[in-house]
Formats: sequence, C-alpha cells, structure tokens
Amino acid sequence: MTAVKREIREIVREEPFMRGRILAALAEGPHTVPEIAEAIGRPANEAMYWVMGMRRYGWVREVKEAAVDGYFRYQAVAREQRS
Amino acid sequence: MTDYDALVVGSGIAGMESALKLGDMGYKVLLVEKEASVGGRMILLSKVFPTLDCASCISTPKMAASIHHPNVTALTYTEVDGISRDGDGTFKATIRRKPRFVDEAACTGCQLCETACTVAVPDQFNADMVARRAAYIAFPQAVPKKAVLERAGTSPCTYTCPAGIKAHGYVSLIRSGEYEKAFQLVLEATPLVGTLGRACYAPCEGECTRGSLEGTLPIRRLKRFAADRHYQAIDGPGVEVAPANGKGVAVVGSGPAGLTAAWQLARRGYRVKIFEAAPVAGGFLRLAIPAYRLPAEVVDQDISNVTGIGVEIATDSPVTDLEALRRDGFDAVLVATGTPLSTSLNVPGEKLDGVVSGLQFLRATRLGSAADLTGKRVVVVGGGNVAMDAARTAVRMGATETTIAYRRGRQEMPAHKTEVDDAERDGVRFSFLMAPVEVVDDGSGKVTGLRCQRMALGKPDASGRRRPEPIKGSEFVLPCDTVLVAIGMAPEGSAFGGRCASNANGTLVADPATLQTGVPHVFAAGDVTTGASDITRAVGQGRRAAHMIDRWLRGEPLAGFEMDEALPVVDKTKVLTRQVGYTHSTAPESASGSTVKRDFAEIEAPMTEAEALAGSSDCLDCGVCSECQECVTACPSDAIHLDMREQIEEVSVGAVVVATGYKLFAADAKPEYGFGRYKNVITGMQMDRLLAPTRPYNTVLRPGDGKVPERIAFILCTGSRDETVGNPLCSRFCCMYSIKQNQLIMGALPLAEVTVHYMDIRAPGKRYDEFYESAKSMGATYVKGRVAKITEKDDGNLILRYEDIEHGGALVQAEYDMVVLAVGVQPNREVDRLFSGDDLALDVYDYVAEPNEDMDPGRTSIPGVFVAGAASGAKDITDSILHAGAAAAQVAAHLESLKVPA
Ligand SMILES: Cc1cc2nc3c(=O)[nH]c(=O)nc-3n(C[C@H](O)[C@H](O)[C@H](O)COP(=O)(O)OP(=O)(O)OC[C@H]3O[C@@H](n4cnc5c(N)ncnc54)[C@H](O)[C@@H]3O)c2cc1C
Ligand code: SF4
Ligand code: SF4
Repeated sequence: MTAVKREIREIVREEPFMRGRILAALAEGPHTVPEIAEAIGRPANEAMYWVMGMRRYGWVREVKEAAVDGYFRYQAVAREQRS
Repeated sequence: MTDYDALVVGSGIAGMESALKLGDMGYKVLLVEKEASVGGRMILLSKVFPTLDCASCISTPKMAASIHHPNVTALTYTEVDGISRDGDGTFKATIRRKPRFVDEAACTGCQLCETACTVAVPDQFNADMVARRAAYIAFPQAVPKKAVLERAGTSPCTYTCPAGIKAHGYVSLIRSGEYEKAFQLVLEATPLVGTLGRACYAPCEGECTRGSLEGTLPIRRLKRFAADRHYQAIDGPGVEVAPANGKGVAVVGSGPAGLTAAWQLARRGYRVKIFEAAPVAGGFLRLAIPAYRLPAEVVDQDISNVTGIGVEIATDSPVTDLEALRRDGFDAVLVATGTPLSTSLNVPGEKLDGVVSGLQFLRATRLGSAADLTGKRVVVVGGGNVAMDAARTAVRMGATETTIAYRRGRQEMPAHKTEVDDAERDGVRFSFLMAPVEVVDDGSGKVTGLRCQRMALGKPDASGRRRPEPIKGSEFVLPCDTVLVAIGMAPEGSAFGGRCASNANGTLVADPATLQTGVPHVFAAGDVTTGASDITRAVGQGRRAAHMIDRWLRGEPLAGFEMDEALPVVDKTKVLTRQVGYTHSTAPESASGSTVKRDFAEIEAPMTEAEALAGSSDCLDCGVCSECQECVTACPSDAIHLDMREQIEEVSVGAVVVATGYKLFAADAKPEYGFGRYKNVITGMQMDRLLAPTRPYNTVLRPGDGKVPERIAFILCTGSRDETVGNPLCSRFCCMYSIKQNQLIMGALPLAEVTVHYMDIRAPGKRYDEFYESAKSMGATYVKGRVAKITEKDDGNLILRYEDIEHGGALVQAEYDMVVLAVGVQPNREVDRLFSGDDLALDVYDYVAEPNEDMDPGRTSIPGVFVAGAASGAKDITDSILHAGAAAAQVAAHLESLKVPA
C-alpha cells in the first residue's frame, strides 16, 4: 500500500489493458480486490479502479454476501450474460 | 421582439426553477447547460437534508419538466460564449452547441456505445471514483438520456498519418485485446497492413505526445502485430463488398497508390483490373524495398486482400495506350505508375560498365538477377532512403567496402535517421561534403574510381537545406569497382505522355484535390503526380483517387467538399497538463529491435502479445476518443456520427439569469490532509456519490482496497472559514450534508463508527438542529477541535492528530479506515467570461454580486441580468430554490416594466 499513488487518469486509462489479466485471475473463482491486486502484481487502489470500471460495464460482479474480513469478492461475468 | 424573453445560464436546481417559473408565467425561456444533462449538482446527491428524500426522485420531475415545458427550450452540451447588451436594453447571446457526435433524435439511450468504447477516463459525474468511457451517458437519470462522445480533437498520430489510418484507434483496440478489429480498422484505409507495419517511416511516431515523455509508442510495430495475428489465423481480408455496380475501372500500376485505389473501388462494387508492367505486383514494395525490411510474403499477403475481393491483376502488362483501356470498357482510368526512372549523375563516365542506378540494382536484387558484389568496393552516391537501401543491399550482396558519398553533411541527409543508423550498423561508411565529377576507368571501360570534389555548405536553398558549394582544387579519386547512383527518381512518361500533360520534372499534371488529369476520365495518384514520396503518401493518394473516381462515375461534383475532414489536432501541451505526474507502469520495451545480420532475412523481430499490450497501454488518449469506430458499429440506431461539428447561433433575449452554481474546494489545497496522496481520504461529494443509488461501487467501500470501512472520520470546514486557503466564508451546507451522510452511513453500515471533527456545528434552519440531534442519538460522535495533520499507515489506515478542545485541549491521535473531508464551496469564475461590454460585478469573495442583496435579491450590477442559486454565494437546495423563485419574479418585473409606455 505504500507505493506512490499514481494519477487517476493514468490508472483509469489502463483498464482495457488490465482487463485480460484481471479476468485471467478471476478464472479460478471470485477474489477480493486485494487478492486481485496481488494476482496481477499491481497496488490495490489501482485494482479498485479497474475492478469497479469492469463492474460498471458488466465484466465482473460482486458475490452477494460480504466476506467476514470486510471485503467483497468479485467474479467474472460470462460474456453472453453481459448486457 | 426578441427570440426569447429570458436566457437562463446553468440548469442546476436554481436554473431549472427560474426557467420553469418563468415558463409557467408564459415567458419564452432558453435554458442553456454546458454538461450533457440538465440537473446540476443536486441530481448527483444521495438524499437531501433534513427530509432524507431521495435527491434524484425529487429532482428528476423538474429535470423532465425543463426539457418538456412548452415555453422552455433547453439546450444541453451547449456553452454561452458571450452576452452583450443592446442599446434597447435587450441582449444578444452567442450560443455554441458543442457536437455530441450522436444524433439526439436517433439515440435511444441503450448504452451499447459505452460498453463497446475502448477509451476509459475518470467519470466526473462520480467525482472521479470510477471510470466512464469516451462514449458516455452522463448518468443513469440523465435528461435527455442521450450519449455524448468526448472528443478533444484529432490525436496527433492519426492527424499526421498521410494514409488516413486511424492510428490512435488501432492502438486503443490492441490495448483492449481486439487485435482483429485493429487490423480491420487499418483495412478501412488500405489493404497494405503488413507492409505499413514494417516499411512505413511512421510519421505518427514523430508526433506521438508520449515522445516528449519517455518515448513514442511503437505505433508502426503495433500495426505489424495486428497484421501478423490476422495473417496467421484468417484467410482473406474478411470484409464485405458492395454488390457489383456494373462499372469498371482500370488501374495502371500496382504500387501502394494503385493497390489502395483498387481496394477502395472494389469494395464499392466496381470491377477493377490492375495493369502492371513488371513481372510481379507491388511496385516498389516488391522491386525496391529490400527484403530484410519487407519480405515478399508480407507484400503478397497484403495483395491477396485486394485479389481476395475480386480485383484482377495482370502482370507483365505495360499500358501504352490509355485510349485502348477506354475502348476495352473501362469507365475510368487511374494512372499510378510511380517514379521508376533514376535521375542521372550527368558526369563523364556515367555509361561505363559498373555504374548502375540504385533503383535498378535494388530491382535486380529482388528479382534474383543482380550481379554478385563479392570482393567489390561500392560507392553509393546520394543521401536519401534509396541510397541507404542500396548501400545496405550492397553489403548483403558481398561488397567488401560500401561507402555513401553525399554532397552535404549528415544533418542535411534526407534519409530517415533510423535508416542512416541502421546502415551504419551494417558497416556502411559515410563520406560527406563531396560531389562526383567523373567516373574514372582503367582505360578499358572498367570502373576504378569516382573522382569527387569536396564541398562546403553555403546559404540555405529553396528546400531550406544549406547549399553545397565546391571548394576549388579539392578534387580526389575515391577508388571503387561499382558506383550506385541514387540521387533522385522520376516518372516514366511513355504510357500517358501523348494524352496527359506533364510538368517539367516529368510528373503528371493532375488537380491536387480531385486528382483528375486534363482528360476527365483519367485520374493520377501517387508518386507519378507528386514526385517521389513514401508509402503512406501514396496510399493516401490512392484513397483520394478512389473517392474521386467514385464520385465522378456517380456524377457527383468533385469540388466543394473536404475528404476526411478531421477535427483540429489536439494541443499536446494541453494533453500533457491533464496529468501532473507520469509513470511508465508497463513492461519495458523488449530488446526485439534490430540485430546485425547481413542477409536478406527480415531483421525486425515481431512483438510478442505482452509487448504489444504493454506498448499500446502507454497511449495517452490524446484526443480522448480514439476514432476506433467501435461505438459506430455497436449502435443499433445508427446514431453516431463522428463528422458532426459545433454550431454557433446568435439569439436575442430580453433578460438573463445567471445560475452557474459553485465549484467545490479543491481538497488537495490542504496538503496536511493528504487528499490525492492518501488512498482512503475522500471528499464529501465523493461520499455522497458512494451513498447514492447510482453509486460507483457496490456499496460504501474504501477506495484504497475495497474494504467495507468500520471507522470513518469527517473533517468539517475543509477549505471553509479558513484564511490560510483564502476563504473566510462558511460554506453553509457542509455541516448539514455531513450530518446527513453520518445518518446514511449508519443506516448502510450498521457496524460502522462515525466520528466528526468540527469547529462548531451550524444547523440553523427548520428541523436542522433536530436532524443533528438525531444523528447523535444514532451513535455518531462529534469531537470539537481542528485536525492538524493526517498520516497514512502501510495498511491504508489514517492517523488523525487533533486538539480535543472539550477535554482540556489535549493533543490526541486516532486511527480510522477512511476520512471524509467536508469540502466547502468556491465561486464559479466562469461567469467572468460571459459578458462583454458591461462588467458583471463580483463581490469581494468573487461570487456574483447582488448590490442590494437584503432588499432586492437576485438583481446584479447589469440592468436586466439576474442571479439565481449558489452563483451568488453558498446556498443549500431549499435556499437555492427560494432564491431562483425570487430571480424569476425579478425577471418578470423587469420584462413587464419594459412594456409600460414611458
Ligand atoms: C457533498 C454535497 C452534499 C450536499 N447535500 C445537500 C443536501 O443534502 N441538501 C441540500 O439542500 N443541499 C446539499 N448540497 C448543496 C447543493 O448541492 C446546492 O445547494 C445546489 O446544487 C445549488 O444549486 P445551483 O443550481 O445554484 O448550482 P449547481 O447545482 O452547481 O448547478 C449549476 C449548473 O450550471 C452549469 N453551468 C455552470 N457554468 C455554466 C455556463 N457557463 N454555461 C452553461 N452552464 C453552466 C453547471 O454545469 C451546473 O449544471 C450539497 C452539496 C455538496 C457538495
Ligand atoms: S470511436 Fe471508439 S474511442 Fe471514440 S467514442 Fe467511439 S468507441 Fe469510444
Ligand atoms: S499518446 Fe497515443 S493518441 Fe497520443 S499521439 Fe501517441 S499514440 Fe497517438
């Protein structure tokens, strides 16, 4: 978490590029944002932008119940189910 | 008579209220909003204090009414560029309708464009907490619910491409993993995707904005990546072709201009036949550019796109009679024969055995008939790209020594720097500032050397380069066995000489815009008319020629329209100042560049997928929209039109209401709170978004890592009542919205603890204090004392240091998951530029002044101009509505007073 916070515009711009990596990480099953961040080797605050951008446009969705440690888990949405 | 009784600038709750009240009174109102939806700030809020009514539920009816009211004309995505007062007390306003690039009537708000769009930018309507797309609908309750494309201009790479290829578009498609679509986007311009991916001199890379940071994107190699992918996987171009239209076009020459024109015409349903004099198709692509830069298979693959859609190519078929083509049933002819002739040296000995033109040498090498140069010393005369190709080819043909002799210096060489560097790496030597005066032989006609004269650079000539001038008595002989002459190229005129006029340099005369020659059915494109250029220019000419031939054959005029009319190029300085810091987060460029290998195998290695993704992800999205065309394809209503342009209108109005609202305090101006640096410090506006039904996340989460926060602190008066940031004023509603958020958080996250650090709570209004008390009774803690500093821990938690005034002023430290800065308001200085002629007076805090605010609210310093809502100072929603009602009454009184005869 100590990594220098990059410009939002720059992080956000990388979403299309990160999408493939994130979906690959989610192929094994749902993950929390810190877990996704670790899987793709990027800071959690950056993964947050990508996961939430992907959520907004239907690539991922949260697993309904909140996990005990206070983190939601996100899962990939099958392409044919995307609106 | 004016066009409208009143102009209302800004459609926040105040602007809408004034417009609707005036409309109800029967006045004709023009309501102008610069954003893509009416509604202002209120529609973005969660709920409103103290009623806790849902903000969007109570504002959407007003938003819909402002659009549908019979007396109100609402223009969104529109700016007021200037307002001036006429002598009769009315106003003239200049209205600029920004292009949405979406036909509002056709758009159904389905959002398919957003989903397809390949460019992600921070969403200003979600206070930058999540991404939106370049194609977007402002927010789910937008009125009108119509998409907009954000376009800042044409990206420099795309703007520069002479071939008309949407470079930014294919870069953004590759970044999104859409490799085949990237290939198809290039195909829209030309079939030569693989060729340009290798042999293009890439003017786009010279203009790439990233070039002024750590280096340009590998734009050309990305195109090659897309081409390699396509050709590995897919047979044929995979494009649709229009049904045959019964007309035929003959194309003379199969270089890039001819192939591109044939491709474009065949796609439009023409029967196209290419006549090529050489034994192979491709022009210079096959017969000049060396195979180590452009393998023959790549050109063949590109040409198979053209033949794949039915174009016939006849090789070994020189055209000598243009009229015969007409008789053979071709309705139009395109001459695209290039510049196959070499300019001669014009020195004695030029006819000796061993003197060859560079072009001839390259052609013979590619046809396998070039003489072996093993053991030979070669001098190449010239400093252009052809000279570099000839020299590097000579090295590969076995020459022991290859020297480039050029009459000016290295700086003046017309060859591209990379070509010169590569030649040097191949072992080519350079001799600058020397001009050949004679080819010398051994007496039996065999070349033994080149007599040269040393030159000095004088004044610049017409080309801007310094003119070489001979130094007297400096002649010497450069020993060699072969001289390759590469000092210029010219067209071969015999095929068309009799019919079409030529210029002194041998190029064909054709109108530069229409490419039509003096013979109406004959057009000319590429180097034959421009003189020697490069592949991209020839491709651009081929596209233009096809477009013009198509128009001509359909009987449409060739003048009076602009082909490929692009938006102006974006200002790179503006692009670079969108961000303060830049990092290069992605994988470094691989070492897969050139290697020194002296054979004809392709030198440049392909990019790996990881390299292509990393390389494309560095794109700065200069023009924002990349013109990738994904939205155009995705839109089921055909509503997207990238060729829309802004429209400027003048309207006359009887009165003006300024309802431009406020700006939020920029929280990073208080660095001790770490906003912008600490991941879990957010503003009050961001918290309102997190609590709104259309929130950016699935619930209230901290932005640093998605954790559901358990301990949340609020810091009131951030940027208000604070002389250190130049704002002594209270912002009036931050206490109240914080209390509202306290209650909503405790409702949404029952386990969360909420602590508010305040100076004093200002809750003076009907039911406001009760609202505060109920937050306390729900469990929120209120701590009096200014927070001095925040620090961030490794786990993203935040340590607050503050003085606990109510407990003896002790310095206390507390840890939270998340901190909300209750930012205050600032004046919207955009009002400054609204008026010309009269100055709209501002008060000492820069809000719109109401000179008599206690007795005459809403009146400004200009007669006939009124102010409504937070534009004149911080007001909550209720007060904004009251104030807007007052402004409407003022407008009515003003308009009626003008009717009373003097
Ligand atoms: C976090 C937060 C929470 C809040 N919560 C509450 C609450 O619960 N209850 C409450 O009563 N108040 C609340 N407020 C205050 C409320 O937002 C304001 O009272 C209200 O928005 C003021 O309305 P307005 O129309 O004057 O300005 P705005 O809402 O700012 O609207 C101004 C409009 O003018 C447009 N505009 C600006 N310049 C131009 C131009 N040159 N040409 C054309 N258009 C232009 C803008 O795009 C905007 O649409 C809150 C504020 C914040 C920041
Ligand atoms: S052309 Fe491409 S980048 Fe531009 S708005 Fe459409 S989808 Fe987005
Ligand atoms: S940064 Fe991207 S859009 Fe800008 S010039 Fe370079 S490639 Fe084109």
